[in-house]
Amino acid sequence: MRAEWLSLSWLALTLGGYYALKPVYRRHPRWWTSPLFTVPLLLAVLGLLLGTDYPVYIRDTHWLVLMLGPATVAFALPVFRHRQLIRTHWPALLAGVLGGSAMAIGSAWGLATLCGLDDAVRRSLLARSITTPLAMLVSADIGGVPELTALFVVITGVAGIALGELLLRHLPLRSALARGALFGVGAHGAGTAKAYDVGNEEGSVASLAMVLAGLLNVLLAPALAALLR
Amino acid sequence: MNSLHARMRWLAWRRPLVARWAQVLLIVLVWLACDQLSRRLHLPVPGSLLAMALLLAMLLGGVVPAASLRRGADWLLADMLLFFIPAVMAVWQHLPLMRQEGGRILAVILVGTLLVMGTTALLVDLMFRWRLRRAR
Repeated sequence: MRAEWLSLSWLALTLGGYYALKPVYRRHPRWWTSPLFTVPLLLAVLGLLLGTDYPVYIRDTHWLVLMLGPATVAFALPVFRHRQLIRTHWPALLAGVLGGSAMAIGSAWGLATLCGLDDAVRRSLLARSITTPLAMLVSADIGGVPELTALFVVITGVAGIALGELLLRHLPLRSALARGALFGVGAHGAGTAKAYDVGNEEGSVASLAMVLAGLLNVLLAPALAALLR
Repeated sequence: MNSLHARMRWLAWRRPLVARWAQVLLIVLVWLACDQLSRRLHLPVPGSLLAMALLLAMLLGGVVPAASLRRGADWLLADMLLFFIPAVMAVWQHLPLMRQEGGRILAVILVGTLLVMGTTALLVDLMFRWRLRRAR
């Protein structure tokens, strides 16, 4: 009985925390005000009081994670809306997505090996740059731990918002195309949300780049799994 | 089919909130159907991607006008960060690992993300400028 109430309160706290802290980000869009950073922080602090029992936490909140499926489906709309942009700039977009994804997988493998991380952790890191539902699929395919990958994906998102801001200030980027692709390939949905703050064209390029990078990774997963065996 | 879209437009105009939730429900149903299909038939493509491709094909074919899904899709995308949050709390299950390797994992993610973003942006910009020069 007590555990059931606790699960329900966690759901209420997650939703309440999100809707309370979201306006803060809208007013001051910085990486440390992103709900992706502030809400888990709030929940972690509350966890000190209510206990950090993940199975109890996830029991009533798991349907929120499940909604990532329909959210992925919804990406059909921005892609459709900007079909003209794709038709004119597909070579540049493709180059960015291919190069970025190769760098994502290569750098994760290289750096993790360099740092002497566990094999399971290393495999879980490979898909961290793409959007969560797809990343978890790829991770399971290549012998990682999907839950760990989901965690790494979110950390990448928060880091990507901060690093993207930094890079925009220092890289000599001429096109909205490059600014958008940077966020879409590097930091999936979190980066895409940030890209919409930079500009509308950046945002749509980011959502498109994110979808393309995700698709590429899913299609490459079987080959990658065979390679890493 | 057409009268359904007409009804959805009317709903979007008179009751934007009801229209939004009806559209979200519609997207969820499409996803659910494709997810089941992909599971039952053991397709190599995940259900969410199948559903996205299907929806995109319907939009391109003019079967579904974009206007009658706009509100639902925009809500799903705008509040996507909420759906990520419970996944982060899985860190509670991996506290020993985080204590042991957390710093190094963070370093890998930070440096890796910097490299990915830099590579992507520079490649796209290079291609963009090269095509611009050739077009002239």
